Parts: sequence; C-alpha cells; structure tokens
Amino acid sequence: MSDGVQLYCWHFMSYPHLPADFDEKYDTGWVTVPNSLWDKDKSRGLYQQYIDQLAYADELGFDGMVLNEHHQNIYGLMPSPNLIAAALTQRTKRGKIVILGNLLPLHLSPLRIAEEYAMLDNMSDGRLIAGFAPGSGPETFNYNVASASSRSQFWEAVDFIQRAWTEPGPFEYEGRHYPTRYVNPWPQPTQKPHPPIWIPGSRSRETLVEIAKRGYCYFLSSRSHGKETARSQEMFAKILAEHGKRYQPSRMGILMSAYVAETDAQAQAEAKEGVWYFLKNCLKGHLRREGRQLTFGPGIPYIPAEEFRDYLKFSDPTTPLLGDAESFDDLQESASIVVGSAETVYRRIMDILTHSKVGNLLIQFHLGNMQDALARKSMRLFATEVAPRLREDSAKLFAREFPEAALVPEMAK
Amino acid sequence: MSARIIDVRGRKVAVAESGRGGPPLVYLHGFADVHGIAADLTPFHQRLARHARVIAPAHPGCNGSDELASASIDDVVFHYLEVFDAADLPCFDLVGHCVGGWIAAEIAVRHPERVARLTLVGACGLFVPGAPIGDVFMHAQPERGTDLSSLRALLFADPNGATAKRWFPDGRGDLDEEVRRYQMLRFGSFMGFRPPYFYRRELRERLYRASMPSLVIWGGQDRMVPPAHGTAYSDGLSDARHFAVIDGAGHAVHLEQPERVADLIAHFHDQHPDEHAGAQLESTARA
Repeated sequence: MSDGVQLYCWHFMSYPHLPADFDEKYDTGWVTVPNSLWDKDKSRGLYQQYIDQLAYADELGFDGMVLNEHHQNIYGLMPSPNLIAAALTQRTKRGKIVILGNLLPLHLSPLRIAEEYAMLDNMSDGRLIAGFAPGSGPETFNYNVASASSRSQFWEAVDFIQRAWTEPGPFEYEGRHYPTRYVNPWPQPTQKPHPPIWIPGSRSRETLVEIAKRGYCYFLSSRSHGKETARSQEMFAKILAEHGKRYQPSRMGILMSAYVAETDAQAQAEAKEGVWYFLKNCLKGHLRREGRQLTFGPGIPYIPAEEFRDYLKFSDPTTPLLGDAESFDDLQESASIVVGSAETVYRRIMDILTHSKVGNLLIQFHLGNMQDALARKSMRLFATEVAPRLREDSAKLFAREFPEAALVPEMAK
Repeated sequence: MSARIIDVRGRKVAVAESGRGGPPLVYLHGFADVHGIAADLTPFHQRLARHARVIAPAHPGCNGSDELASASIDDVVFHYLEVFDAADLPCFDLVGHCVGGWIAAEIAVRHPERVARLTLVGACGLFVPGAPIGDVFMHAQPERGTDLSSLRALLFADPNGATAKRWFPDGRGDLDEEVRRYQMLRFGSFMGFRPPYFYRRELRERLYRASMPSLVIWGGQDRMVPPAHGTAYSDGLSDARHFAVIDGAGHAVHLEQPERVADLIAHFHDQHPDEHAGAQLESTARA
C-alpha cells in the first residue's frame, strides 16, 4: 500500500498592518516598499503569533511545517527562516521542519548553510527537510546577485553542501565560486546520509534533470494548478525515467492555499479580507500586473537568450496573474487558493491530486492579514475533516497509479 | 553597411561596418544602440561613416556574437584586444557609448598606443560620489506588464517622444529586437548588476594614462549616467580637448541628436589629425 499525500502547513509570515489605502498609494510590496510603514507597536507579538500557529499545526497532526526566505518585502517577514526553524525545534515534537529554502547565492559561503542546517537537524532530532533555492528576481535586486551567474553559483553551492555532509572532512573544495581550503563542518547532520533535499523549480528542464540525477525532491514553484501542474509532473516523471529512475508521488510537492469553514458561504465571508489583502498587497510586485513585477523578465536576465525568445513567443504580457483576481470565481479557475466547506476543499484538492499525482501538499493557511482565530479554525477544520479523507483516498489513488516496483516485471523493459 | 562574422580564437564576433575611406574607427555600443536593439547601424553611425571606416562589433552574447563564459570588465577588455588583433587593427580611433564607453576607457588606459583618438559618450565606468549610475535592470521590468516609460526616462530626455518609443516601445515589440534588448541586458548584467554597478573605482586614478586626444560628449538630461561623470572623465583624461554637454538630450544622446554627435566627433578628428596613429604604425613597421 502506498503512502498517502503528506500534508504540510506553510507559513509566509506576511506583514499584516498595512494602511487600507496601500494599494492606491504604493506601487510595490517588494524591495522598495518603504519600511517607514512598519508599525512597531502593532507588530509586537507578531512573530510569537505566527510561531504559535505553526506549533498548533504540529499539535493538529500535520506532517510538517514549512518556512522560506524572503528579504525586504511585506510578503514574508523571514529574512532568516533558520531562526524560526530553531524556535520550532523547541516548540514542536513530531512534524518535519521544511525550510524551502535557504537562498544559496545570497550567502557568502555554502559552508554556513551546511552548518546551520546540520545544527537544526540535530536540534530537531532529525526532522529537518533541507530546501535549497536560487532566489528569484527580487532577491537578485536585494542582494546583488548577478543573475546571469546565479544558476551556476546555486548548483555549485548544492554540491558543496552535499559533499560537506557526506564526505569525511577536512577536504579542499575546488569550485569556481566557492573555493574553500578546509571543509570540515561540525556538527554533522543527524539524518544519514543527509537530510532529504528539496529543490524548487518551474519548468526549466535543466533544473529537473539536476534534481532527477541527484535523487532530490522537486517542488514546483507555482501558485496556480491547472494543466501546467500535471504537465510538470509528466515532464519530471519522463526525466526520471531517462535517468533510470521511477517517479513516486513522494518525489514532488506543490504549494497551495486553503481556507476551510463550516459552509462555502461562511468560508468566503471569513477568508475575504485576508485573501484580498494577500492578493492586492503581498503579491504586488510579484504576481500582479499592477505596479512593477520583479520576479521574472528582461531585467533579471538569468536564462539564456534563446530560452527568453521561447518565453516571449509563448507568453502574453497582458494576461492576468494570480494577484489580478477580482472574485472567488477567478480564484477557482487558478486552483491556487481553495476556499470552502470541508467537503468543497476535499473535493477540489482531490481533483488536483488526481491530475497532478504529487505526494506533498504544502498548504498556506494564514493569508495576508488574516486574524489568528480564523487561521487556527481553518487549520483545525482542515486537520480534522479534510486531512483524514485526503490521506486515505490519495493512498488508494497512488497505489492504483504507482503499483510497487515488483509489479513491473524486468522483462517488460 | 556590411555585416560580417569574424572568428576570434574560435568565438564568433558579429561586426557591422560602413564607410570606405578614412582611418579605422571602432565603435563600442551601449544599451539603447546598434546591436543593443537594432540589427544595423543607425543614422549616427552612417553619418560618422562619411569621415571614417566605422567598425562596430556586437558585444559578447549580443546580436550574433558568441557569449563569453565569464564577462567581467577584464574578460571583455581581453576579448576586445583579441578582436582588434583578429581584425588587424594595430591602432584606431575609438568611440564608446554607455557600457561601450567604459570598455573604451579601460582599453585606452591600458593600451594608449593603440588608441589614436578617444571619444566617450555618456560613458559609465567611474565612481562619482553622490551621482550614482541608474538601475537599468529594475527599470527594464515593465510596469503593469507593458509600460516602459520609466526605462525611457532613464535613457532619453523626452521619455514619450517618438525616438524613445521607437527604441523602447510599450508592450511586446518586434521579437528579434526584444531578444537583442535582452541579450544586451544579460551582457550588462555580468558587468554591472552586482556592485560595482558599472564602474571600477580604480579607473579614475588610471585615466591619466590615456594620453591620446580625447573628446567627452554627454546628454545634459542623462539620467542613467549623470553628467557629473562626464566632468570626471574630462578632468581625469590626460588630453581631453573638449567636454560637450548637449542640452535637450538624455543618455542616448546619439539617438536623439545623431547628426550633432557625429559632427562633433568628425570635427574633433579634423582638429586633431591622427599623428599618433601614424607614428605608431611606423614604429610597428620598424619593429
């Protein structure tokens, strides 16, 4: 019997105290959003509230808690997710701690990440899932990452860390970006050979090939889940097969957002404020046409010119993005933020799982300026009324779709 | 105009040329420029070609030239020394705009014997306190998905004039031009996305080594490389003969006032005959 879907609670820790006219007055929530808007009095206790929500997810039986790294924006107040992860090692007992991830090219040396992740793996008694990400447009502006070389820096840093965790030290690392005479980190991780490694990617074949070769988990970095998500899964499965490996749902994860309440109407009424704060403010500068989007484009020229030509051919700069949604119906189309009763949310997520066959669902419950009590209620209803059915039915689905290796005779190859 | 590909130690370099007579003049381009957007030489280059043999290579990765694995300013200077050798150009006039001006200045301080006369137009390359070079990369990200008016404001005196809109139209422009814009941004990102942002602090102290007659031309409304950089070049070069600030023009002064800029360069060359180059050629022949 296959395992069912793994359900994680992702917290972005957005800044919730923006003025009501923020969208009118400011053209972005990223990089240049003035930090004079930070309200130190209203913000007292904010991190505590967010950490408490993650600890509650652990109590509710989620498979893990997800954190990630952002800089100089209102979307995510975790310049260092490792600090929050350290707090979670002391507040939680069961769930995995997923950091998705540290942005490798932003750091002076990957040695520091190998060290901090190893500390967290020890402090959590082997519960760390180690995510590595290259960072996207806003981070290149924030941290002076030369985007044309960020990919090669990223993969070199990944190699560095994996070797630092698996090869006896000290050894000398002869890299182009991170040459280091003495690689010998203390401590070493608790998990052997090393903590599971997750890497986000969009649909870049080059990235998927690297993930497939190295046996890592592929996290699809998209907030919308239409046909493209299924296509990404098919592409990843095909690339795995080309490398003599078989796709399993546990090899892939996606991000989505959910809000659960007693009825569909109540869910929409309760989620409305937080969802639209998130779409209009947090996504401004990232996934909205309004303002200046800094996530991808000619000013962040990290892909080769021929790939950019393909992007130009197959994209339309006037197509609405997620943050341009005006109604719950618009949101329903993108399958990004699922809002409704337990039955509705179950059905919609099962639909995504049936099409995309991914085994890790990373779900954002707290959106924008959502009140603590609402976020907690939604998490509780999800954990008690949605999660058990998803686990059971997805296990059946995956068993059907991915029978054990033994069922595929060698001679059939 | 003729375009050809020359082979430089196994790398392809696309070179546009124009003008039969006259001494060789190498032109190194910037963002809003030939190779940075247009496939062919522009009216500015055509007018220059009345007086000189204009040789305009496309930077690595731009408009048919192969990309370099690494394109730091030093990598690019070495690349061009190899290009000049491959093109059999021991000594020549050198004109550079924007990033091309920086590359030209770096070549001039290292190899003054190869540069007969130097012209810098809106050149980056210097650190001038209080007058930072604008962030072309952030402004290249359109507002509302299609609006490039802030990029045009960085590069042109009149951001909504016909010239600015021809070079940087809103929305999706011609696919090949869009790709060339991208290639130039990608090339530039190796040299100026991370600090130092299109400058080298040491260059200012080295400018005195550029001993050839020099001309500095700036758009008075240059918002990408403020005119204070022109003053710094003019003060630092050993033999700067003239610093021309053209009012009513921005960073892309050679697109906004092509005849004016070309004529300034032609006049400068007329005033300062190429004795230096002649002497160099003789000494090369003797050796």
